Amino acid sequence: MTIFVIGYYALLLAASCAAAYFNKRAAFMLLFSLTLVSFVVGIIGGAGALYAIAVAAGILAMMAMVSYAFREFLILLAGKETAKELRTAPLTAAFGMFIIFTYVIAGIFAPWIAPHGEAEVISSAFAPADANMLLGADQLGRDMFSRLVYGTRNSVGLSLTATIGAFVLGAGAGLLAATKGGWFDQLMGRLADVIMSIPSLIFALLMLSIFGPSMPVIIVAVAIIYAPRVFRLTRAVAGNVVVMDYIEAAKLRGEGTGYLIRREILPNSTAPLIAEFGLEFCFVFLLVAGLSFLGLGIQPPTADWGSMVRENATLISFGEITPLIPAAAIALLTVAVNFVVDWMLHRSSGLKE
Amino acid sequence: MGDILGLVAKRLGLGLVILFIISIIIFFMVELLPGDIAEAVLGQGATEENLKALREQMGLNDPAIIRYLGWLKGAVVFDFGRSIVTQEPVISVIGERFVNTLFLATYAAVIAVPIAITLGVIVALLRNTIFDRVVNVLTLTSISSPEFFLGYILILYFSVKWSMFPAIASLSDGMSFWELLERTFLPALTLVLVVVAHMMRMTRAAIINLLASPYIEMARLKGTPPWKVIVKHALPNAWAPIINVVALNLAYLITGVVLVEVVFVYPGIGQALVDAVSKRDFPVVQACCLIFAATFILLNLAADVGAILTNPRLRHPK
Repeated sequence: MTIFVIGYYALLLAASCAAAYFNKRAAFMLLFSLTLVSFVVGIIGGAGALYAIAVAAGILAMMAMVSYAFREFLILLAGKETAKELRTAPLTAAFGMFIIFTYVIAGIFAPWIAPHGEAEVISSAFAPADANMLLGADQLGRDMFSRLVYGTRNSVGLSLTATIGAFVLGAGAGLLAATKGGWFDQLMGRLADVIMSIPSLIFALLMLSIFGPSMPVIIVAVAIIYAPRVFRLTRAVAGNVVVMDYIEAAKLRGEGTGYLIRREILPNSTAPLIAEFGLEFCFVFLLVAGLSFLGLGIQPPTADWGSMVRENATLISFGEITPLIPAAAIALLTVAVNFVVDWMLHRSSGLKE
Repeated sequence: MGDILGLVAKRLGLGLVILFIISIIIFFMVELLPGDIAEAVLGQGATEENLKALREQMGLNDPAIIRYLGWLKGAVVFDFGRSIVTQEPVISVIGERFVNTLFLATYAAVIAVPIAITLGVIVALLRNTIFDRVVNVLTLTSISSPEFFLGYILILYFSVKWSMFPAIASLSDGMSFWELLERTFLPALTLVLVVVAHMMRMTRAAIINLLASPYIEMARLKGTPPWKVIVKHALPNAWAPIINVVALNLAYLITGVVLVEVVFVYPGIGQALVDAVSKRDFPVVQACCLIFAATFILLNLAADVGAILTNPRLRHPK
């Protein structure tokens, strides 16, 4: 029994007793179940496992504090209406917004943040981390940290472009189908059925094998693959709007299809579409990451997270976590976007609870 | 019973039509190549004679529609022609690998389905507690992680640091079944982690949707004990969404397997597809795509049929 172990249990027990005393049931449940889990884990894994739990809890607490502070910061900055909305955001959503904010900054200011160039060879292959290179060097001796920062720009930029492409295609077709109806609606619906019945990764691989892996091909392929999902949602949402009286009134006024879509339907279906955009971005981002992991995405020497994982994967067998960092960066952004979307869906649609 | 059979037959027919359209897409997309397959295979430095010989060998001089019909006729009996790179028949390249992939997917499904459904129901019953929130965050994280991230984390801990399971899932003949299970444990676990998260969230949503319906409230109001509400009132109606969830996730397993196979160097069809794509071995790519698409459609079909069988309302469409 070291001081650490005794202190660990004392702190947990004191905190759970305090929570119980002040009638915070949720906090008590969490703390006390953590205590019980720690007993088991401590017996099996010894003090090392308890140390790991303590570090994880510390990181979680830090993240919670950052999210809380960032939410207050946003509330201060935002206007009155937005501030009211923001107050309802759970900590997870605030955390998501913070991460997205960080990525945006890293992407825009990449050349100023990164200490070295993206394709600049500065040391020997797989050199360990030092004061000059925060995360060490990759398989060609390029600075891992700089490539990570540049990767934000390339990976996220590519996925964002592809998602916007999918949205322009899908939402455009969906809105047209909802207003025009008839054979166009039928045709688009069947087309969407066919595209959606091919698994997305397989379809992407098929297109890349034919047209070769290059940026425009990836963007177009991914946009075509994900457009049908957007189409279905837009069609459903816009279909509900089209039957409203004010649309009828606008039609009787003699407004054209373009006006109907822009001024009447679109403003009334933005909320679900924005949430869908977030979700689609996650799918697209994971697909693009998967493709570049398979060596079929952005081609070297452009820094890109998926291919960085693949190129440095040999380090794993030496117990190094460096190759996991770009993979973690992918996961972190997807989680963050999902957190924000979760909150937005909850707010706009009032999911059944 | 007759109307059910009719409905199922109708769905099957629809699935076949979609598969037919997909085979057209897969075949004719290769036709979109700038130049033709022979030029793509031989590259820029090919001489006219070489091109001509290859065209002759692959039968490229026939019109596309005739080649398509020939390809389709072969594909129905699993004869996909010969690989351009190795000259072996495609089926001998991917046949055994397809069995391996099915094994991996089944292995993962057998572990994942019971866990996911049990946990999903529990989480739905405990909704809005701290436990539910923690599980929500955990499953969301698992869904959002790329498969190769989870795979490499598992390799780092289970095989490099704790040396419990092998990192590379190589298969050899004459392995005992237990050995096979041990070798493929890490890839299966990776798939399980992703699929369980998906399935749990979907099961939870389905059950919560159900528990919000008026007849459940009625049962509660008349004083039925909670377990009876679940077992007698909710469960019979919950089968349809649960069967749907399972089938959809199995379909997901079939495609999610591609990345996992590459991470663990598992000799499955996904790895064959990726290799063929980078070597531009079109007959293999086409065959793999068709097999994946067919499996995907089949499982979606199973979801539909399962839903029809367990939900009488779907038997009488408006």
